[in-house]
Amino acid sequence: MNREQLTAEIRSMVARIIKQPEDRILPDANLFSDLGVDSLLGVEIIASLDRKYSLDVPEGRLKDIKTLNDIVEMVASFLANK
Amino acid sequence: MKAEEGTAAYWRKLLGLDEPGNPALFKLKPVWQAGLRPAFYHLLGLIFRSYCPVKVVGLENLPPRPPYIIAANHASSMDFAVVAWAMGKRREELFALTTKLFYDIAFTRFWIKLAANAVRIDTVADFFPALRAAAKVLLAGKAVYINPEGTRSVNGAILPFRPGVGLLSIETSVPIIPVYLKDTWKVLRPGSILPRPARIEVRFDRPLDPEAYRLNGGPAYDGYKALTEELRQRIVALSSS
Repeated sequence: MNREQLTAEIRSMVARIIKQPEDRILPDANLFSDLGVDSLLGVEIIASLDRKYSLDVPEGRLKDIKTLNDIVEMVASFLANK
Repeated sequence: MKAEEGTAAYWRKLLGLDEPGNPALFKLKPVWQAGLRPAFYHLLGLIFRSYCPVKVVGLENLPPRPPYIIAANHASSMDFAVVAWAMGKRREELFALTTKLFYDIAFTRFWIKLAANAVRIDTVADFFPALRAAAKVLLAGKAVYINPEGTRSVNGAILPFRPGVGLLSIETSVPIIPVYLKDTWKVLRPGSILPRPARIEVRFDRPLDPEAYRLNGGPAYDGYKALTEELRQRIVALSSS
């Protein structure tokens, strides 16, 4: 899966979880301040990614994730090291 | 199966719910606390019966024994003490989470520990240490006191609730007791030191069972949010009853 496909897949997943249209989830939009995601919903996104890609994301990484780009970067990095 | 399904396992891992609990951790109480706390609440009772009379309603709604979560609206720094006083001797099963900003100062720590079984948390870093600490209290078979608004209301209005309380209740399978504190903000407002006279009420509602909100397979967050919203509705209803 290339980076573009991965981004599209994750955007679609994030949109379903936060119940927003996909086109609102811009790569650098802050999920928390721009899209109204609360801290626990942010963790729900990570929990879903963790399950889908078997990532085992450590808790310490959660605070680094603010945008779609951050998520894609993290997932790509985990998948590359698998 | 959808990708979002079954996220509860991740939440449980973050909360440390599968780690062994340590009930002994919550049984330790220094001698000075055991001796002075009843005297402190006795003195508080003199104030709560005269200067700012407290009316207690629905105390029979407390489950016969812990664990349970007391979730109350927050409008004054005296809120915990009012609820603990209203609970009588059962206050000893109740634990409060205390931010390190207050706990690490000797003067405030003395008063906090006098009034409450306090667990120090680092809320500055993030919210998971607080939720984990609360989960440990509940797993040890005690009760925990939570203000779901996460901050104080300056005029008594009930603010939006944060969904951590729903998460905690569902994943520990512990009921929530909704509590409405009426007019504590009139007695001790943010920034004031001396209390003003006013009538206060503490209203305990019947327990809120989390099991109906546990989603089997869906995004676990939706259940946490729904339970938290129901809790808020219960407290809003208590405020107008």
